[in-house]
Amino acid sequence: MSPAQSGSVRQDAQALTYDLPGLLMRARRLASTAPGAHGRRQSGQGDAFWQYREHRPEDGARTVDWRRSARSDRLYVREREREVSQIAQLWLDPDPGFAWRAGPDRPPKSERAAVLLMAAALLMWRGGERVGVIGRPATRAARHAETHVLHDLITVSGVEPAAPSARAGLILASDGYAPLETWRRRCERLAARGAFGAIVLIADPSEEDFPFAGRTEFRTVDGDTRTVFGRAQDVREAYRERLHAHMAGLVEIAARHGFVAVRHRTDRPAGVALSALIAAIGRRRP
Amino acid sequence: MTIGPLFFAAPWALAVLAALPVLWLILKAAPPAPNRLVFPPLRLLLGLKTAEETTGRPPWWLLALRALAAALLIIGFSRPSLAPDTPDAAGLGGPMLIAIDDGWPSAPAFDEMRATASGLIARAERAGQSVTLLTTAAGRAVDRGPIDARPAAEARALIARLEPKPWRPDRKAAAARVMATDQRFAEVHWLTDAIDDADAAGFAQALAARGPVTARRPARLATALISAEATARGVEAVVRRASVIGGDGAIAAETLDGRPLGAVDFTFAPGALQATVLLALPAEIAARAARVRIVGERSAGAVWLLPSAAGRPIVGLADPGGQGQPLLSELYYVDRAIEPFAQTRRGGVETLIADGAQAIVLPDASRLAPPEQRAVERWLDGGGLLIRFAGPRLANDSDALLPTPLRRGARQLGGALGWETPQPLRPFESDSPFYGLPSNAEVTVNRHVMGAGEPPADARVWARLADGAPIVTAASRGRGMVVLFHVGAGPEWSSLPLTGLYVDMLRRVTAFAGRQPGRSDAPIAVSGPYVLRRMIDGYGAWAPPPPDAPPVAAEMFDAARASPTSPPGLYERGAVSAAVAALRKDESFESLPDLPDVTMSSMTTAPPRPLSGWFLSLAALLMAIDVLVALWLAGRLPNIRMPRWAKRGAAGAAVLVSALVLSPPPAAHAQSARAGDTDVRLAYVITGDAAADATARAGLDMLAKILRDRTAVEPGPTVGVDLARDDLSRFAMLYWLAPRTPRPLSDSAASRLDRYMRLGGMVFLDTRDAGAAANPGPAATLLRGLDAPPLEPVGADHVLTKAYYLMQSFPGRTDSTRIFAETPSSAAARDGVPALLIGNGDWASAWAQFQREDSLAWFDDDARRREMAVRFGVNLVMVSLTGNYKADQVHVPALLERMGVEERRR
Repeated sequence: MSPAQSGSVRQDAQALTYDLPGLLMRARRLASTAPGAHGRRQSGQGDAFWQYREHRPEDGARTVDWRRSARSDRLYVREREREVSQIAQLWLDPDPGFAWRAGPDRPPKSERAAVLLMAAALLMWRGGERVGVIGRPATRAARHAETHVLHDLITVSGVEPAAPSARAGLILASDGYAPLETWRRRCERLAARGAFGAIVLIADPSEEDFPFAGRTEFRTVDGDTRTVFGRAQDVREAYRERLHAHMAGLVEIAARHGFVAVRHRTDRPAGVALSALIAAIGRRRP
Repeated sequence: MTIGPLFFAAPWALAVLAALPVLWLILKAAPPAPNRLVFPPLRLLLGLKTAEETTGRPPWWLLALRALAAALLIIGFSRPSLAPDTPDAAGLGGPMLIAIDDGWPSAPAFDEMRATASGLIARAERAGQSVTLLTTAAGRAVDRGPIDARPAAEARALIARLEPKPWRPDRKAAAARVMATDQRFAEVHWLTDAIDDADAAGFAQALAARGPVTARRPARLATALISAEATARGVEAVVRRASVIGGDGAIAAETLDGRPLGAVDFTFAPGALQATVLLALPAEIAARAARVRIVGERSAGAVWLLPSAAGRPIVGLADPGGQGQPLLSELYYVDRAIEPFAQTRRGGVETLIADGAQAIVLPDASRLAPPEQRAVERWLDGGGLLIRFAGPRLANDSDALLPTPLRRGARQLGGALGWETPQPLRPFESDSPFYGLPSNAEVTVNRHVMGAGEPPADARVWARLADGAPIVTAASRGRGMVVLFHVGAGPEWSSLPLTGLYVDMLRRVTAFAGRQPGRSDAPIAVSGPYVLRRMIDGYGAWAPPPPDAPPVAAEMFDAARASPTSPPGLYERGAVSAAVAALRKDESFESLPDLPDVTMSSMTTAPPRPLSGWFLSLAALLMAIDVLVALWLAGRLPNIRMPRWAKRGAAGAAVLVSALVLSPPPAAHAQSARAGDTDVRLAYVITGDAAADATARAGLDMLAKILRDRTAVEPGPTVGVDLARDDLSRFAMLYWLAPRTPRPLSDSAASRLDRYMRLGGMVFLDTRDAGAAANPGPAATLLRGLDAPPLEPVGADHVLTKAYYLMQSFPGRTDSTRIFAETPSSAAARDGVPALLIGNGDWASAWAQFQREDSLAWFDDDARRREMAVRFGVNLVMVSLTGNYKADQVHVPALLERMGVEERRR
């Protein structure tokens, strides 16, 4: 079995551990609470009327809307709303540490991420855009599209985001604990394809608050690396400083490559993060 | 090592206690197990340093707990024990003398005594004292040597092996042994049976001369039997106690092989030391008593042996040998007859004589060789009793050992060629030893031998046949006697051996053994000393005689007391057996008075109590607590501060339990829920009339088909129902087609049908006698015994007319039918739905004849009738399933309208 195969088997198995219908339902509920569907809200080539604006000399005579202009003394141009649909592509960090949660009273980070991504996808479909997982063709809203995308999200997302479609809007969901260098290369690669978008950084509260005390051994999910502290509370401040610095660096890297970093904690309502996401993906590429 | 009341068997282990501070330091230094966590942003933690790595130390109280557990563990391993009986400081180190009365009076309390001795030895061992043991009832010469100190372990082993002797202590000898040593003892313990004897005071003095004496007495003194004998009234015994307190109990008598004969309670009169007790038994049974004992008193003195030489003579059975079939053996009958009152031996005549047989039974089959004959003659002259039985061999070949010469050949009575009938016995004459025995009329004699000529002068006839022929003859021979039964010992010649009379006669004959008339009670052929056959041990149980038991000379026997040279038990001297009792009537048996120079004390039965277990358990408990605490400190225990879920769970469980308890019992009748039973099924009653049943089945099959075609009812296969056996509750309706010859239901069937109707079932009885003038109809017979409700004719507004099809008449096989249904008032409990319908239309036949075309063939009267019959069937099933659903007013407007249309059409 090749590593790729085993990886896909693992991800298939991982997909089984997700409660996909429940996830989708939560995503729908989340999307329904989000502020109304967004149009492109800019003029462009489409069928829907957008606005009348005054004629400018560079518009040329053909653009004059005579019917409107006849009602007044000025010349008006009839603008239509831009309707070229964007492509939004999603990426869910498959790192096993991302699927972790500190306690049973809160969801795993990756699950919250999946809900957020799907909610965003639903909103964007509603806006007429095409949504897909990075590395897969983006689709318009269609029957079963949600399920397919959600399934892809969980099973297809590679360790590194695959090459996005040109000028696609990306939403990357991760905990952002990979080294800054990794992130820099990742953002550069994506930005080189003209991608822009948002990175939603999801953290478990215990990862931010570091509520540990006493003799504690920390290890990664795979257990490869571990470290012991006699008094965990003593490293709290140092850890939080490091975390803060790391996140600040990450935000800065993201911003430099056209991504908006949205930070979110699994103990906070997802709606805020969703709004920030939508705002980030809906804006024009700078 | 002793610290206060604590004694440590392995004191070196305590040295480890010194290592406790080290342990404390190690515990203090060792960090607790870390809390293990998964933490994804671990990378950010790497390289961070805390100020002090070992700050996660356990709290001091946990350290103390662990140190305490360790200390307890160490103390536990040093094998501590609690010794309540600490030696006096003065006695420490000095030698100890333990004198033990190990005679039978100690036996009831011997366990107590042994425990006390063990405790004293253990104490001496702890105190480092040497121990000297002295047993006052020592039996063997080896045990009566000079006393000397022994190691404690050896002394303890000796004590463990020590058993009470069946004789009383010889304190005189013991005193001599004490005096033989000139050692002084720091302590002298005298574990005494507290029974006084002539030498007790002297022994106490001897002990006191060697050291301070503490006499330890048992809590209860022994009780003993000093005589017992079997009399005509039963077993009479005399019980003696040593002190005027207590001692009441019961005596029991048993046979030689231990079978109980009876028991009786006895009480001592106040202040009396002696009690006479009578165990009332029939004389015969009392005669079999071989042993009398005080119940529950385990000592040799509580046993009295009844030597049975007089009561049970030794009777030798001259065994001809080579007998394969015991029931055909003549000796079998003799053996069984005399076994209750004599000791029987079998063997050759000379062997029997040598064994001291007082009587010899010589059956016909046994022939005496000339030397044997001479031996028997000598034995007879010495006083033997020879009992002979006749038989074919004797009849043909008589010898000299007979009371009377015999005629050759036997007289046969009642045989095929005989002219005389079998003869009964004549009643016994007054000079016969059998006089007084009932002459049993059932005894008949077929053959017997007859004396030749006149009997000798010394021969006497003891029994005669009815015709006067002698049947038992006896004659003296020297000091002995010969008794001849003129019949066989077995049942071939007469029925005598099969009767109880045979037993009684033999008993009276054997009574002559050893004491023939005029010869007094002189013992027969006994000489030499008494030899111990069975001994009783100190506890009063039977024991085999020791191999070195010396014989007791006959002239000494009467004066013999229980002692090592004459242990109590059963002795035999030839045929005579006698007993030596543990306590003679003339011996003193009183409690020990207070003696000068002796401290009286009781037995202490508290051996050192080992405490290791307690210490180790406590240590284990502490360690368990430590584990829990460590887990709690590490946060591994489920939230113990929030047992709310537990409370809630318990409350929930309580609610659940109470709900279960208080919930009403399930409904008395439950619809059977077996798979497949949920289908609607049409059912007919199996009446036993094959034709009717087949018709009913065919009709219902067709009705079911029509229901499936036309309605939402989809019945399963039709079922025949046996009212007496099947579960009726599965069916909404029973179709009951009357058989040609109606018979009333059985009681059980009727009661089940009643129950079915009461619980909501519907029975449709089809008498199929429409048009016939049969009166009374079959319904009367069929419903006999049934609790049938009142009926009324089905009217035009009955639910049957509108349950599915609207119909005003119910044609069956004929057009004119009548249907009766339960009155609404009777069916009020079921909302007016009738439980019983009776019709006469033979609908089953009509249904069975239905064809698909019938529903269209309205021009054909028969077809139309069949269609209407089927419609009625559908209505019937609908009523059974839906009850009065259609009877209510919901459909009234539609029905009215439709009726109106129809009326107008007419």
